[in-house]
Amino acid sequence: MAGRDRLTDPPPGADRGVPDFVGRPGPSAYHRLNPLTKATLATVTAIAAVVLGGLIGPIVLVTAAVIVPAVVGRVLGRLIRTALLLALPIAVSAFLVNLFFFPGAETVLLRVGPITATAEGLGFALEILVRILAISGAVTLFYLTTRPADLVVDLERRGVSPRVGFVANASVQTVPAMVERAAQITAAQRARGMDTEGSIWRRIRGVVPIVGPVILGSIAEVEERTMALEARGFTRPGRRTLLWSPPDSGLESLARWALLAALLALIVGRVTGIWA
Amino acid sequence: MAELVAESLVHVYRDGGVRALDGVDLRIGPGERVALVGQNGSGKTTLVRHLNGLLRPTEGRVTVDGADATTMTVAQLASRVGLVFQDPDRQIFAGSVRAEVEFGPRNLGRSGADLRAGVAEALDAVGLAGDVGTNPYDLGQSRRKLLALASVLAMRTQVLVLDEPTTGQDARGVERVRAVIESVAAEGRSVVAISHDMRFVAETFERVVVMRAGRIVLDGPPTSVFARDGWDALSSTYLEPPLAATVGDRLSLGSTPTDETLIDALARSA
Amino acid sequence: MTISLEGVGYRYAGATRPSLLEIDLDLADGVVIGLAGPSEAGKTTLCLVASGLAPRTVGGQIRGRITLDGEDIDAWPMHRLSQRIGIGFQNPSTQLSQVAATVFEEVAFGPMNLGVARDEVVARTWAALDSLGIDGLAERDPQRLSGGPQQLVAIAGLLAMRPEHLVLDEPTAQLDPAGTRLVAEAIARLAADGASILVAEQKTDLLAEVASTVIVLAEGRIALRGPASQVLADPRLVELGVAEPAAIRLRRAAVAAGVDDDRLKGALRG
Repeated sequence: MAGRDRLTDPPPGADRGVPDFVGRPGPSAYHRLNPLTKATLATVTAIAAVVLGGLIGPIVLVTAAVIVPAVVGRVLGRLIRTALLLALPIAVSAFLVNLFFFPGAETVLLRVGPITATAEGLGFALEILVRILAISGAVTLFYLTTRPADLVVDLERRGVSPRVGFVANASVQTVPAMVERAAQITAAQRARGMDTEGSIWRRIRGVVPIVGPVILGSIAEVEERTMALEARGFTRPGRRTLLWSPPDSGLESLARWALLAALLALIVGRVTGIWA
Repeated sequence: MAELVAESLVHVYRDGGVRALDGVDLRIGPGERVALVGQNGSGKTTLVRHLNGLLRPTEGRVTVDGADATTMTVAQLASRVGLVFQDPDRQIFAGSVRAEVEFGPRNLGRSGADLRAGVAEALDAVGLAGDVGTNPYDLGQSRRKLLALASVLAMRTQVLVLDEPTTGQDARGVERVRAVIESVAAEGRSVVAISHDMRFVAETFERVVVMRAGRIVLDGPPTSVFARDGWDALSSTYLEPPLAATVGDRLSLGSTPTDETLIDALARSA
Repeated sequence: MTISLEGVGYRYAGATRPSLLEIDLDLADGVVIGLAGPSEAGKTTLCLVASGLAPRTVGGQIRGRITLDGEDIDAWPMHRLSQRIGIGFQNPSTQLSQVAATVFEEVAFGPMNLGVARDEVVARTWAALDSLGIDGLAERDPQRLSGGPQQLVAIAGLLAMRPEHLVLDEPTAQLDPAGTRLVAEAIARLAADGASILVAEQKTDLLAEVASTVIVLAEGRIALRGPASQVLADPRLVELGVAEPAAIRLRRAAVAAGVDDDRLKGALRG
């Protein structure tokens, strides 16, 4: 545009770089670990919990790979609440089933009517419980200490297509947007006398005047969004410039490989019976 | 003939605790044309949703012809108070103009010749009579907005409430909306419209209600609301009086909110 | 840089009639052209065609020639064109990428996609924010802004692409008066700085403020063309379905009533 140079020259005396609010580092040393490192730890922990035998192994695992990092990250309280909440239904049922119905058990602990709690059952139930908590804890730890956008950007830096990251990020937003749209449309249809109380048949018929505009409107919106993205070069092939990406280090890279190697060794050991 | 009354209306939104309405008293009589103005967050949208029961008051009440609105469901209130939303695309679902306009009156129990007559009348009023079979999405944005208006008009409610009826409309569309408002009021039905087009407000409505921070700060005819005394209240809501009002004031001709009144004043003072 | 449309016609996919016919138009450097016309006259279509989105993203069939400084752009892909011509739309929020946590990152989205060096991305972003006066919004969440500021963020996002030409399709249609004024002032500023803009608007008062040339479309063809002051005062505007600027409408009514005199002229000027 004529006068373009003036428009894009920065004002005098202003030498601003990437602002500090872009990619703020996390509040603890654990948060500041690279997302891929944290993801690797979570995955290895979850798998190892299943592979390890006995009770002691998984307890040590949970302590080292979940509790300790949670303490460092100062998220222990939230972790316990969220992980327990996540695992509770499965944990409770698995625990009870094994406590009372463990096959081939002999040592009776407690009789409750027709069913019997056995020591062998208790032992096995505890083993299952620890494993479930380990998996739930590992996943929750990752979720509590890593921003999804950071993981997406980190993957992009390593070569994953920006479109993948974009889709991941943007799809999360679609659901609340559709819910909001559905609420507005419901209000408009109710204002035209659509009955939302009343017989089931009525309510089923009432779905059409809502679903129609939700879908049509979402499609129309996708068209508009696509045009806006195209107008901003989104369809240009190749990599794009990143303002910031989570830092990584040789040490962390080594740690990730070491974790994977340890997991592999564990699996091989279990399979070949080196450690029972 | 309906009388719509809001008494000491207070509304606090549950999430966030925002006090959107802070004691609103409003009485709308049959045949009145009332404009509701104010900036975003002033409470006008919240107020309007109380009129047909979509929102229920935290304190105070809304009565329609003396009956408490809380005793009626939204579907029941819809037979007396019709509300046209701002975005036609958050409402239109039918495959044809006719089916879209039939939806409202059908819900109210109309059928047969009576239904067809109501639909024809509404489509005529907005200028879509020739498009009965057209798919609404083949109409431009402007005419889809008129379609949404027709679909509520066909319900023949005693009160018609419009949310920003002229936003996004072209000149012809604005004229249509004005004509509809005038003919509805002429039948003794009331019209309440939220608008930020001050010239449209001055020329179409006999009463302007200005809201700010959940309260009514000004309520009167355009000649008083757009007179110099009202400007402070208006500007606190980031609204400007129409050109005719500022010109009339500049020429010391008294309050002239519309082109017509300004020209009358000029002629008289010549 | 000049964009030239020669004998351009366009028909949407599946449409029975063309939406644009025989459009001859030059978008030259440093000129702001206003585009007026009733709804469905082809304003949006012309914007889409001028920016290249039609037929590339939108589909449909195009006729005639479009050249950039004499070079035919028929084969240019959209991402190449987007660096020469930017296009903005009515709805501020659908233009956001939805993947930016802050306004800064939102505006940087475009240059980031272009793969230019990081320093360049940062410089362009700050420059775009500054030219619209919104560097103070840099840390805000773009999805939480109200319409006017959001529209400015969208325009800044376009400017960061460093286009030589901007096409804006009714940027204030969905905004309240405060938002409209914000965007109008921003466009006026860009215009004063020598920007090349094609802006479609129903609000002819806005066009009077920022445009040097005005084109009126009717049924897909150019019906009027000329200097802004001349076209906006043309008596044929109303029958073409375009609202006249407020001052012109007032004066025309005054002339018809025989009271157009120096007082009125003076008051309108002041």
